[in-house]
Amino acid sequence: MYGLEAINAANGWAMAYTGAIIVFSGLVVLSFVVSQLNRILGFWESFIKNFKPTQQSKQTDEIKDEDTFVVPHCVPSDINKAAQYYSPVIKELEQPFELTSLYAISQQKGFPHPHITISCFRQANILVPEGDGLFRWNQPQNI
Amino acid sequence: MELLIQFLTNTGYYLADYRHIIMLLIGSVFVYLGTAKQYEPLLLVPIGFGILVGNVPFFKGFGLGIYEPNSVLHYLYFGVTTGLYPSIVFLGLGAMTDFSSLLARPKLMLLGAAAQMGIFFTLLSALALGFLPKEAASIAIIGGADGPTSIFLTAKLAPHLIGPIAIAAYSYMALIPVIQPPIMRLLTTRKERLIHMSELRQVSKKERVIFPVVGMILCCYLAPASIPLLGTFFFGNFMKECGVTERLVKTARTAIIDIATIFLGFTVGASTQGDVFLTGKSVGIFLLGAVAFSIATASGVIFAKIMNLFLKDKINPLLGAAGVSAVPGSAREVHLVGQREDPTNYLLMHAMACNSSGVIGSAICAGILWSFLV
Repeated sequence: MYGLEAINAANGWAMAYTGAIIVFSGLVVLSFVVSQLNRILGFWESFIKNFKPTQQSKQTDEIKDEDTFVVPHCVPSDINKAAQYYSPVIKELEQPFELTSLYAISQQKGFPHPHITISCFRQANILVPEGDGLFRWNQPQNI
Repeated sequence: MELLIQFLTNTGYYLADYRHIIMLLIGSVFVYLGTAKQYEPLLLVPIGFGILVGNVPFFKGFGLGIYEPNSVLHYLYFGVTTGLYPSIVFLGLGAMTDFSSLLARPKLMLLGAAAQMGIFFTLLSALALGFLPKEAASIAIIGGADGPTSIFLTAKLAPHLIGPIAIAAYSYMALIPVIQPPIMRLLTTRKERLIHMSELRQVSKKERVIFPVVGMILCCYLAPASIPLLGTFFFGNFMKECGVTERLVKTARTAIIDIATIFLGFTVGASTQGDVFLTGKSVGIFLLGAVAFSIATASGVIFAKIMNLFLKDKINPLLGAAGVSAVPGSAREVHLVGQREDPTNYLLMHAMACNSSGVIGSAICAGILWSFLV
């Protein structure tokens, strides 16, 4: 079979125009989506930008709450100043307290060398023994 | 003496006939064009040498020929008949493709769609010439100017035509500098060829990362039969753009695609045994391939001119010729034709956008035709 007869017999016309329409519509849709991709991303980024300040302000609030926990990079040589840094930690503990609890919280907060500092507080009588392994915080007067 | 005579009757010299000689000549021309003229050497050299190897006559039954079960060549050819090599080539192609220009100007994607019209016109022509529907579809896909896609579809629909169709597809890809420029010049005026394209916007990394995912979903959902090609193509591109799989991308775009190309070209060449290849059908396929390729080029150019009727920011109609998926040959040719008119006109990046959409378009067409005819 040849010519138009062969095309008709094989359903050629339908295959040709259906195929052409499918490939064209497929690429038109892809082209449209691609053209919108930039806008969608722009919209998403602006949404994220608008969303971020709320998150940031929340974070700032949290930091403000935690501002009391100022952790020094190194232990100040002045024991009174060191005690100033430790006073917010002490507030978290019920008086009297065990030194292990103070040590644990100090380490958790990231204070440098808490073991040595606590030992200095003991020597300076800032940590006063109450008996039964418990200690009381004796706030230095000049803070 | 009898043993010697028996041996001599089994040699290629004794068994050769005129068809082998013709094929050896064709193979030599391919090797010559690939090496001396450097026309698509990465394709023509393996194919050409494969033709030479495939046309060494041998005593049938020794398990030597590509069509004989259990022969080494037959096992290598397995990657062609199953569509494995084209799929791997597409993976590497995806890992090499930069879609930035396409993302910057998505309307150029329509030229990639328009250039596929050559496929459907050729489908009708092949049917009219008496080819069976599956053969006609395999021949028509030559219009996509995509070797791996042509081989993939032919392996699925008309495996007996892989040789001639692959040779036709790759020959026309290599002959882009000869075929396309006259059509481009014939269908455009000098004024149109001088159109400068506006500068492309900067494309963000996020767009480039999202595109292969979106592209794969949209195209493969539309034509699931194109998954073996477009699935790997977009996967390769995603690996390239995501930026965290550098080692995999490097392998995909070097070793993997090279290995697949070598075996694909060599075995396709070897499949062109004179007795199988030199038939009336092969001549018809070559003629229809030329028609398909020319119409694909012309329809891209004409569609670009039609688009210009509606666009404020005119596009250079030469870009339509790059809608065929011969990457990067047709884009390079569009650029050169544009530069011949005006050396300051740089069309390459814009043409690459059409080219890469042509790859997607022809793979979708292959999927569509396969699903029509299964």
